[in-house]
Amino acid sequence: MKRFHFIWALLLIINAAKAQNYTIENIPASLKNRAHAVIRDDKTIIDMRSPENVLLSVDKAVTVFNKNGDKHGQLVLFYDKNTAIRSVKGEIYDEFGKQVSKFSLSNFKDESAINDFSLFEDSRVKYYIPQINTYPYTIVYHYEIRNKQNLIIPEWRPVPGFDVSVEKSSYQFISNPTDEIRINTKNYKGTKEELNVDKQKAILWKIENINALKHEPYAPNPDIYFPSIKVAPVNFSYYNFKGTYTDWQGLGKLSYDYLLKDRRALPLETVWLIEELVKGETTDRAKAKKIYEHFQKKTRYISVQIGIGGFQPIKATEVDKLGYGDCKALVNYMQALLEVVGIESYYCVVAAGDEKTDLMPSFASMEQGNHVILCLPLNGEPTWLECTSQDAPFGYLGSFTDDRWVLACTKEGGKLMKTPKFEAAKSVQLRTGELSLSKNGAISGKIETKFTGSQFDNHYFLLKKSPTEREKQLKYLYDINNIEFASMAFDVDTEQAQFTEQLAVEVGNYAAINNGKIVFTPNLFNVKRSVPAVRNRVLALDLKRGYVDVDSISFKLDDGIIPVIVPKEVKIDNKFGQYELAIKMKEGKLMYYRKLEMKDGQFKPEEYEAFENFVNEVANNDRIRATLLLKQ
Amino acid sequence: MDGLYCIIKLSAMLRIFIFALLLSPIVTIAQDFTFGQLSNNDRIFDRKQLDSNANAVYLNEAGSTRFSYDSETGHMRLIHQYHARIKLFNKEGFDAANIVVPLYKSGTGNNEQETISDIKATTFNYQNGRLEETAMSEKAVFREEKSKYLTLAKFTLPNLKDNSIIEYSYMIETPFLFNFKTWNFQSDIPKVNSTYVAYIPANYRYNVSLRGFYKLTDTKAELSRECLRIAGKEMDCSKLTYNMKNMPAFIEEDYMTAPTNYKSAVYFELEEVFYLNGSSQKYTKTWRDVDYELTSNRDFGGQMKRKDVFKSIVPSLTTNATTDLDKAKAIFEYIKKQIRWNNYYGKYSETSVKEVIDRRSGNVADINFALISALSAADLDVEAVILSTRENGTPNKLYPIMSDFNYVVAKVNIGENSYLLDASEPLLPFGLLPLRCINDQGRVINLKKPSYWIDLKAAKKSATTHSLIGKMTEDGKIIGTVTSIALGLNALNIRKDIKKYTSVDEYVEKLDERLTNIKIKNFKIKNVDSVENALIEEYEVELTIASNENNATHFNPFFINPVRKNPFKLSERNYPVDLGAANEERISINLVLPENYVLKEQPKDLSIALPNQGGRYILQTTLVDKNLMVNQQLLLSKAIYTSEEYHYLKEFYNRVIQAQKADVLISKNN
Repeated sequence: MKRFHFIWALLLIINAAKAQNYTIENIPASLKNRAHAVIRDDKTIIDMRSPENVLLSVDKAVTVFNKNGDKHGQLVLFYDKNTAIRSVKGEIYDEFGKQVSKFSLSNFKDESAINDFSLFEDSRVKYYIPQINTYPYTIVYHYEIRNKQNLIIPEWRPVPGFDVSVEKSSYQFISNPTDEIRINTKNYKGTKEELNVDKQKAILWKIENINALKHEPYAPNPDIYFPSIKVAPVNFSYYNFKGTYTDWQGLGKLSYDYLLKDRRALPLETVWLIEELVKGETTDRAKAKKIYEHFQKKTRYISVQIGIGGFQPIKATEVDKLGYGDCKALVNYMQALLEVVGIESYYCVVAAGDEKTDLMPSFASMEQGNHVILCLPLNGEPTWLECTSQDAPFGYLGSFTDDRWVLACTKEGGKLMKTPKFEAAKSVQLRTGELSLSKNGAISGKIETKFTGSQFDNHYFLLKKSPTEREKQLKYLYDINNIEFASMAFDVDTEQAQFTEQLAVEVGNYAAINNGKIVFTPNLFNVKRSVPAVRNRVLALDLKRGYVDVDSISFKLDDGIIPVIVPKEVKIDNKFGQYELAIKMKEGKLMYYRKLEMKDGQFKPEEYEAFENFVNEVANNDRIRATLLLKQ
Repeated sequence: MDGLYCIIKLSAMLRIFIFALLLSPIVTIAQDFTFGQLSNNDRIFDRKQLDSNANAVYLNEAGSTRFSYDSETGHMRLIHQYHARIKLFNKEGFDAANIVVPLYKSGTGNNEQETISDIKATTFNYQNGRLEETAMSEKAVFREEKSKYLTLAKFTLPNLKDNSIIEYSYMIETPFLFNFKTWNFQSDIPKVNSTYVAYIPANYRYNVSLRGFYKLTDTKAELSRECLRIAGKEMDCSKLTYNMKNMPAFIEEDYMTAPTNYKSAVYFELEEVFYLNGSSQKYTKTWRDVDYELTSNRDFGGQMKRKDVFKSIVPSLTTNATTDLDKAKAIFEYIKKQIRWNNYYGKYSETSVKEVIDRRSGNVADINFALISALSAADLDVEAVILSTRENGTPNKLYPIMSDFNYVVAKVNIGENSYLLDASEPLLPFGLLPLRCINDQGRVINLKKPSYWIDLKAAKKSATTHSLIGKMTEDGKIIGTVTSIALGLNALNIRKDIKKYTSVDEYVEKLDERLTNIKIKNFKIKNVDSVENALIEEYEVELTIASNENNATHFNPFFINPVRKNPFKLSERNYPVDLGAANEERISINLVLPENYVLKEQPKDLSIALPNQGGRYILQTTLVDKNLMVNQQLLLSKAIYTSEEYHYLKEFYNRVIQAQKADVLISKNN
């Protein structure tokens, strides 16, 4: 009963705070500056009464200034079998702090939280979107959620994103004094207060007056500069499963022992099939490649979030029978197939996404990953497999999972491993072309482009598309008015992860003819887009992946065109990259050569302007036009 | 073909058929095909036969719907059988094996809902000359409670390979008789054969309509004796068969309204039920019935005549107004400011005009009924217009289907003119509807006179004029002022864009960041809030777009809103192009050239037009003293272009793009 009193005491404090006036006059001017919304006050309290009973209570007031800020005024609550929404209520105030309306759970929409085709997912969502067209307005609400597990404790991210300022925000974690917890603090400048109330231990973090941060192009991963607090109890309970971990080693061990260990048995026919398949192959690598290609033909990705809250893979026998599964099931199945011929592999949890996000080496917790891939140690030559793709070459990870720390769950325990990085020099797009320019301005001819490294999958998806879809996509990729593709051929070298595209192109009316001259841009296919200017940049410049593009195109000129041109040569070299351009006549042909290397790396905010100038200079040079005279 | 889709009225014809068939012997034709009995044709079917780009095709698809009487509850139900056989040519086509069946629920107290049963699904693979069958287990069917009104039954087929043939069937029982069961002849993959059979008891009358651009391959009306048993009594049905063969995939294209306007499908609307006791109940009505119902409905007609709410306020609003038009404008302004839209559409008032005025917020109907009441309080001649928004499809013109309409606006008649008004968008000027309402026709509902159709068009011209007046410096910079004047829907769009930001300054800052090679030095934006006037933007700019070499400068004078890409790229267009409104853009550039420079080259003058007065493009360059003037006019004078006109539009844009590639060359006069 004591605990009960304690939460009541907190609620009283909250209610006292509610008497606040929400007129926007009270917002300090610095917080209004360039903000789409202001978090006026946000109190999050997590009361871990027991591993099976964790209460989350949130009191929040947000002022929204314009349409772009609307998303911060919405209230979206996810729930499932293990997460119950206990209460919600709130009010909306106008700019003068006068109440306009009230809402409660009955005003919420309730839907399953599944976007694409997913066979099974337990996750549901209740949401409330204020239907307000008058700005500014303030939404004030309170809600309570009960979590029947403590493996994943809701973290605190007081700054929800760009263009939002924060007046006041706090996070309190309450537990038994005997409960062991681990805490991860990121970008939190204040101090934490520890209080003891009624035999309970409470830790409080708070921040005040954080100005809105403008979104800037090429910004680093927001995790790096937005504050956050993560809490992970040492002893946890999850879907009736109880365990203990303090580091990745332990979490990996736990995952292996309880989620993965006994899921890999296969029917005998499949074992025989695999044994038969690799007959004649001598190296493990060659065997693994054959098995992977067989696996890709046999399976497809279907989301089925079933089994211990979506953490346990479906058994290999099931995948064998159905031919589909989610990332966990497919990795587990591939692992089982490899085991048949004695090839070791690791089930690896990764934070997938175009943004390179590491699992934090110094802080283990279950919710950091969102995807699973497979790693084959292969005697010191680690090879990585994406098992949800039916066409990725053996050993190829795309920019979805490259260059980041992942957790390998092995029978010895968890260990962090880094996925391979795409080096700029190896991420190449190499294009050659032999084109003809007619005197009426039409261009026609052949181009061939080879893609490797991080550029491998730029156009690779075309391979599986139907002819009309290919044509449509190519017209989008080569955004030239009037372009037509007379023929298309594609080839993939899965050993080298190299994709080759051969096109016969025709572009009518490409060159402009005026006053006896023919004018055109010889760089048809690779025009760098300029980058926007940023005033008073504050964030570092983060160039995530480097690459090299080389275009060499020759133009055979129509007899009616006089083959004389003012040659042009440009060379730029700086810390962001290199650019070379050459336009000249050679053996009666106009030769166009362009090489651009963009380097990766992090740079200071004040260096952005130099980067912008470099890119814009490249962009301007890419648009250079060649002028030739027509015979009269 | 007129309009966006065609409807074939079948019901009248059917009645004759049924009558004739009463006397003829019963002929039964097997519409469904046998589960699992694959033909050699199925096995060898090559997509080239229908569409070489298809990743999957329906080899065969059959459905039927019949009535069933539930003696326990005494309610009628519909039993819908569905059966499909699909060939998957490659992995890209595997999505066709992910099946989602929507099951609707009333969501109200009685909680009536649709149920699915008898789900059967099998994958067939030809392996080494043998047919291998993999049946889906019943356990592989999942249910997702999507929302209060919708449950999804989901399953996927096992063991898929290239060239797998999948087959599945299920039965749905539904208590919702009104819409029977719509049958779609088109989906995102082609269909070789698609047949639908509807068994309609003699005492039920449905209106049947066919939508889309394709004709039925076959249709039959037959008599089906004793198809239904109610309380021990056998009833006869008419058996209606609809068939289409070799249907192409439906692919959404740009400049289209709702896909339901284009997709081939057969729709049913319950018209009338004749009960055994001799009484009857009408469901689909005539416009006369609907007029009466709407005008006497509390949430429609009832809210049109709430003059009382505005009796006191209207005289003070209109004191300065001398004409009826001024009065109407003053009232329109007042309602727009007074009531904020809560983002919901609707043709019925959710509360009442009285309450909406107090709360200052409401749905579209609340706001526009308040407007109608206020206008009539000022003794103006005002009517309501119900309509369907663009994404909601076009309403059926043959008979009233109330569920087709989702919006209501006001129509005020002043002298010879009438104006359509929607007070839900505060940024709209008097007499202009937002684009979402510009969709075919609306029905005018008058409290005293019969209703009638009216065209929904953008009543005000959508036009933009950009003009740059400035000079070119010797080092190739252009310094000057760009003035942009926007009217109609173009002005609305810019105003909405500006309102996304907290201030106009912020809007311009973002604009400046977006434009490379253009620096905005100073700006003035006029009439952001006075929406009756043109929106005027003035920017002092500095452009670095020219390149200067050997005392010669060349630049492309089409730097304001150039057309770089052709919006019409397809080699063939199957459906009309719906732009929503006619549009005109004029761009003029007036530059003083630097001293001692002469004009060497200029873009060629051009004047082209679209057929049937569809539009034109005019480009003219002139030099007077040191003043270089480049004037362009791009006019699209129609809102909708037919698919036959597509090629002209495409070529028109090609010519514009080509013309805009030409540079101006000036050089120093030595």
